[in-house]
Amino acid sequence: MTALLSVRDLTVTYRTSQGEVPAVRGVSFELEPGGSLGLAGESGCGKSTMANAILRLLPAGITTTGEVLLGEEDVLTMKPGRLRAVRWTGAAIVFQGALHALNPVQRVIDQITEPIILHKTEPDKKAAEKRAVDLLGQVGIPANRAEDYPHQLSGGQRQRVLIAMALACDPDLLIADEPTTALDLMVQAQVLAVLEKLRAERQLSMIFITHDLSVLTYVCDRLAVMYAGRIVERGPSDQVFERPTHPYTRALAAAFPTIGDRESRMNPSGLKGDPPDPAALPAGCPFHPRCPDAIDRCRDAEPPLLPSGPAQEAACILARP
Amino acid sequence: MTEALVVVEDLHIHFGAARAVDGVNLAVMPGEVLALVGESGSGKTTLIRAIQGLTHPTSGKVLFEGKEADARHLPDVQMVFQDPTGALNPRRTVSEIVAEGLRIEKFKGNEAEAVSTALSRAGLRPPERFLRRFPHEISGGQRQRVVIAGAMVTEPRLLLADEPVASLDASIRGEILGLLRNLVDTTGLAVLVVTHDLGLAWNIADRVAVMYLGRIIEVGPTEELLDSPKHPYTKALLSVVPETRGMEQQILSGEIPDPKRIPSGCRFHPRCPVLQSGESERLGIAERCRGEDPAIISAAATREAACWAVKAIAVAG
Amino acid sequence: MTVVVGDRKRQRWVEVAREFWQARSGRIGVIILAFFVILAIAAPLVAGTDYINPVKARAAGLPQWGTPAEVGPLGTDHFRRSVWDQFVYGSRISLLVGLAASFLTILIGSAVGIVSGFVGGKLDSALMRITEWFLVIPFLPLAIVLAAVLGRSLLNMIFVIGITSWPSTARLVRSQVLTLKQRTFVDRSRSLGGSGLHVVRQHILPNVSGLILANTTLAVPISILTETTLSFLGLGNPQTASWGKTLEEAFVNGAIARNAWWYYLPAGVGIVLVVLAFTLIGQTLEQIVDPRLKDRR
Repeated sequence: MTALLSVRDLTVTYRTSQGEVPAVRGVSFELEPGGSLGLAGESGCGKSTMANAILRLLPAGITTTGEVLLGEEDVLTMKPGRLRAVRWTGAAIVFQGALHALNPVQRVIDQITEPIILHKTEPDKKAAEKRAVDLLGQVGIPANRAEDYPHQLSGGQRQRVLIAMALACDPDLLIADEPTTALDLMVQAQVLAVLEKLRAERQLSMIFITHDLSVLTYVCDRLAVMYAGRIVERGPSDQVFERPTHPYTRALAAAFPTIGDRESRMNPSGLKGDPPDPAALPAGCPFHPRCPDAIDRCRDAEPPLLPSGPAQEAACILARP
Repeated sequence: MTEALVVVEDLHIHFGAARAVDGVNLAVMPGEVLALVGESGSGKTTLIRAIQGLTHPTSGKVLFEGKEADARHLPDVQMVFQDPTGALNPRRTVSEIVAEGLRIEKFKGNEAEAVSTALSRAGLRPPERFLRRFPHEISGGQRQRVVIAGAMVTEPRLLLADEPVASLDASIRGEILGLLRNLVDTTGLAVLVVTHDLGLAWNIADRVAVMYLGRIIEVGPTEELLDSPKHPYTKALLSVVPETRGMEQQILSGEIPDPKRIPSGCRFHPRCPVLQSGESERLGIAERCRGEDPAIISAAATREAACWAVKAIAVAG
Repeated sequence: MTVVVGDRKRQRWVEVAREFWQARSGRIGVIILAFFVILAIAAPLVAGTDYINPVKARAAGLPQWGTPAEVGPLGTDHFRRSVWDQFVYGSRISLLVGLAASFLTILIGSAVGIVSGFVGGKLDSALMRITEWFLVIPFLPLAIVLAAVLGRSLLNMIFVIGITSWPSTARLVRSQVLTLKQRTFVDRSRSLGGSGLHVVRQHILPNVSGLILANTTLAVPISILTETTLSFLGLGNPQTASWGKTLEEAFVNGAIARNAWWYYLPAGVGIVLVVLAFTLIGQTLEQIVDPRLKDRR
């Protein structure tokens, strides 16, 4: 089976007053049709930059190199017209902070029909509106709320509207960038359930980005953990979560304790130090200053991503099968 | 039993028609971490402001060491905020920020020494490295430590922490929680932490109180409450924590109702899975669930849930 | 230790100054303004007061409507007075009135804005009603009436300008204070037990000071123009020769019909340049102290 999305050696470099700052440093991965990939990592690790780079949504002045193949085409070299079409019909993105992503003075239904009419995926306005109501139903918003303005909806409902909007032109790939971060627990569960249902029903491929590893194991079948602009561990999600082989993944997995696990009771676990500054990455393995297992050799060179278990890879010299 | 540090007695706080806090009894003991768990709109933030003496009760009272709480007690009650970046004035240095509490209470001792001690106790060592920095020159985790140092410098008896790690990176979270727990264990401070994060409660809290729509609906020691929750709301909440494994997810429909229109009877009944599944009918309490408000949990209760079904099962069993 | 903290604060001002100088508009503004300030301060060195007095001018044998070619730097007017001397001494009046009136504007405006925004409630509504009242009254008639009632003196002029132009400052400062009040660090200070006065002094003022400074520099040109307008309408002090008054006299005595450009042009150009200088400085400052504008540059 050919991959739906194949990212090859993607690098993203910001230009700032302090010189060039690498945000993403050579990331490669593939996503099968219907597959779902979870991207985990902390702020500044490059995960959101990468999501935006995949759809070329980064502002001007940022250099992106490598290849982002969506089907057969490279998104990075596409003509602007083709890119616009691909952005809704091929791949769509859902951001966090639903309040800002919606136009406050436009009815919800009009915001959903807009891309449908623009890309002519339905014959006329009537059909587009019917489809919009249908989409709202799929994300669990009753038809009578379709005429509402965004401020009349709750945070969870707005996030669902964004998902419905992203699905308006029936894309093959949905990129969700921290879609549940600002939401309450119960609402987060509701939104995750909607995504899960859509994925099962429509064979939708998904890239899901968050800092909460356990959320990812719930929605994704594969997991990639990013640190300092690179993938440092990847594999099937349960396996990565239950048996992490990279010390950073271990720390991230332990950050949110399993309730009922006596070991974490009265014993919160975290890492010393702060996430690294992309403008001044430590030499060698960029994680070594915070790594509890670091040895002298870790300072020498940045370890490549190599097999660390069945179907699992890690960028750590101590993680070998 | 030791004397409670804070006693909240039958507290009601209304904003117009909205009953933000609608009958709360609660005691905070010296040297304990009490987690107040609830979703947004549950009234937990209003409750915290009342304990600070910054919001006046519509009825009922808040006692701090036996005396009614007002803004005068503030040096004894300090606050840690969700967003450390916003909590620090960008135009002030770390030393000025930490010293602010001392200056307000007209501290007579050695200010520089007190500031340095507070910084090192908050894990910013050596303190000299941080004194002259501005907030934008330190990391997010360090900023939260500055907020904690600024709160601890006046040696308060009670620390109110509003989602203290929600805006921090995952790897920093454990360190900050560890710091809070350590401060409690070494100084006898009490911490009331407001959160929607049950994992945080499991990590550091001695007791948990679960709040729903202006009222505490279940309290208990952390392990008991999280291992075997009684109230259907707590059960549902716990089932959707991504960190809980092997529990069947129970996703409630809808969201917390508007505090202007608190449902009659048990305030949770329109969303209650026990009532919806017909279980209440079988127990013969369905009418009660819809029409009769369960009694407010008392401050002295060690383990209790405000739920007719829980009571009916207890009587039957 | 406090000394070192002071150093860091000074460093910030040095940075602001450097950034200011790097912006071309700021640099031009400062250069123009510096020229006029030096001119005003050095007036006795480059001009005299004698020939501003028509009696002395006549005694010295100066002609009426003398062109620059005939009688030195900028010729003479219908009273045989030296236009150059009037221009140089007029710069003093214009700058003085501009600065003093702006100071008054900012003082009233900031005080009302901070109190209104910070205290809120009924006081806020009351103060804002008054502010709006001042805003909706057509400014010029009010100033004319006030100036006429109070009498024609320099101090009254300053007072009239100050009292009529504070409302927009008040509204600007109030809105800034309202946003600041929502910030968590104000909450934090409150929960530390800080009084209202403490919060205003420690957290509100330092954060609105930049805005106030920028606003002050932008208020100066408006004050200068107002002074010109009022003087031109004959409401200025008859004893002092401000630029506005020069323009008025030139106009009334037919300098335009006579094509006596040397009479009205210097004062007119002076006003335009000073106003331009303050506006450039103000806008540059505003961009530096307001990070939201920074991105737009």
